[in-house]
Amino acid sequence: MKTMDASSPVRLLVIEDDQETADEIVSEFAEAGYDVKHAADGPRGLALAGSGNFDIIVMDRMLPGLDGLAVLGALRQAQLQTPVILMSALGDVDERVRGLKAGGDDYLTKPFVMAELAARIEALLRRPALSRETVLRVGSLEMDLIERRVRRGPREIDLLPREFKLLDYLMRRPGQVLTRAMLLENVWNYRFIAETNLVDVHVGKLRKKIDAPGEAPMIQSVRGSGFMLIANG
Amino acid sequence: MSPPLFRLPLFRLTLLYSALFACSTLLLFAFIYWQTAVVETQRVDGQLLHDAMFLSRLPAADLRGTIDNRVMPDFRRVAHAGLFGADGARLAGNLPMLPAGMKFDGSIRRTDVPDAHLTIRAVGLSLPDGTRLVLGRNVESLDNLQLVVVHALELGLGPALLLALGAGALASRRTRKQLQTVHETAERIMRGDLRERLPTHGGGDDLDRLAISVNHMLDEIARLMDDMKAIGDNIAHDLRTPLTRVRARLERARDSASTTEEWHEMVDRAVAGLDQALRLITALLRIGEIEGGRRRAAFEPVALDQIAREIAELYEPFAEEKEVAFALALDPVRSISGDRDLLSELISNLVGNAIKFTPAGGSVCLSLSDGIEGPVLQVADTGPGIPPEQRDLVFKRFYRSDASRSVEGYGLGLSLVDAIAKLHGFKVVIGDNHPGCVFTLRGTLPP
Repeated sequence: MKTMDASSPVRLLVIEDDQETADEIVSEFAEAGYDVKHAADGPRGLALAGSGNFDIIVMDRMLPGLDGLAVLGALRQAQLQTPVILMSALGDVDERVRGLKAGGDDYLTKPFVMAELAARIEALLRRPALSRETVLRVGSLEMDLIERRVRRGPREIDLLPREFKLLDYLMRRPGQVLTRAMLLENVWNYRFIAETNLVDVHVGKLRKKIDAPGEAPMIQSVRGSGFMLIANG
Repeated sequence: MSPPLFRLPLFRLTLLYSALFACSTLLLFAFIYWQTAVVETQRVDGQLLHDAMFLSRLPAADLRGTIDNRVMPDFRRVAHAGLFGADGARLAGNLPMLPAGMKFDGSIRRTDVPDAHLTIRAVGLSLPDGTRLVLGRNVESLDNLQLVVVHALELGLGPALLLALGAGALASRRTRKQLQTVHETAERIMRGDLRERLPTHGGGDDLDRLAISVNHMLDEIARLMDDMKAIGDNIAHDLRTPLTRVRARLERARDSASTTEEWHEMVDRAVAGLDQALRLITALLRIGEIEGGRRRAAFEPVALDQIAREIAELYEPFAEEKEVAFALALDPVRSISGDRDLLSELISNLVGNAIKFTPAGGSVCLSLSDGIEGPVLQVADTGPGIPPEQRDLVFKRFYRSDASRSVEGYGLGLSLVDAIAKLHGFKVVIGDNHPGCVFTLRGTLPP
């Protein structure tokens, strides 16, 4: 896990009634240098979140006192746009849509591994601003969104549409860990876990084209999590 | 503790029927009584009046003779007659004196014959010469008849009612006994003895038929429980395999890893094993969730061709890597009502399986066309195929044919397909592709 810049630690609020899960998240992110606060029920969570002193909120969907969706609704009503990741036990799959509609920024189904939560938190903290750029650049890699052309340095790279879509997503999030689930959800609009290593195959194909033999590898695998595009050469 | 007899529903019904029976009997007897008392009396009265009129029109000279000769000896009619002078003296006939309270206006009344202890119906007429004519008829037989009717009612209704009540009590006691048996058996079953069955005696009555269907239900429950147990065993077994492997890897890492690199690699493989176990559990929970049917509420129009195209895009590189030719043949189809995510999971499972089980050099074709009842989606492969006798089995949880045992998979993909198809009211059938197999999914259009 990436350690955040010590001068301004990321302020994370965890609203979770299950003590064990809460402890796990708090200790994991405190260790990584986050400034973590915890609330065990809806009303306290809302009070803390309402202060606006947080960069990101991780909240359980089902909370005692005040439901997660209600807390979220109240926050958005008060014009607080702090990114919120909702968590929910499996079996509440159709809740996902409701969570996102209520103003949630991401939705995680329990149980999840910490690396998944960390990647999603990082993705939200570094959410790419809507840009009018028509050319994306990461290191020597350049993508022309209008001409739909990709080049690495002087080398022109011929991509299939599906590879173009994947690279587009990667290039807007350089240096970020992107998990397989995130890629499936956001690139292919696919909301369940595929049994096969589909994502790896896609990334592998793209990698062969981006990282030619002898070139410094730009698409990296992150142990236990997913992939990352780095500005390498 | 069984309730008292009168509180049993069947016995209450008996009481009700008995009451109805008594009412109808009473009605019947009332009719008979009315027939004898009223109608018969009217007939008698009519004849009396007729005779009186006839006599009154006879000349006075003939009258006495007629009374003596014709009226009195007419025993069949049991007639009484008398002609009295204006002073009440008897002139002719067999009535000793004027009956008390007679009126001579042609009205008929009931009166006693003086000195004879007889009750008759009598009519009195004043004749033009001042004499008074009285004609009467014995109504004792009528009275007797009425008495017989009342007696019959008393004698018949009582025993009949007792009989009905007795039969009702007997029937309800028998039913109560049967119900008691059912109750006891049900309690034994609830205590966990699922092999127990309700007794049936082949009588074909309602209770017997109920017992038979309850027994069928119990058979079905027992079968489901066996299935559950088999599933539980399968889960345990399928979890033990990856977990044992994880354990072995971790042990090896502890004992033999000499470099951090090596150690990392071994731990990674252990984590992959745990992921496999987790995926298995997730898939099971998802099947349970889908079979719960809750998601039907979120159905919306779905374009299958678009989903098929997306799935194809997702799986093309996978097929390429396995050197399996992947073909797509999509006709435009009408949209159906469904859950987009689940349907794409369904198609994804079929396509993923097809590619997984098809050897290098083979081909997989995903096609979509518009049928009569709705869109028809087919996934055909050139893999090992599925023998006809196994085609229903593969949709069961954890079933894996021998041919597929060597390929990675959890035997749950097709159960998931089945659950999703059922949720949508779609049909999935497996056919032969010579070689390989064809999965055909028949969608239905929204009503």
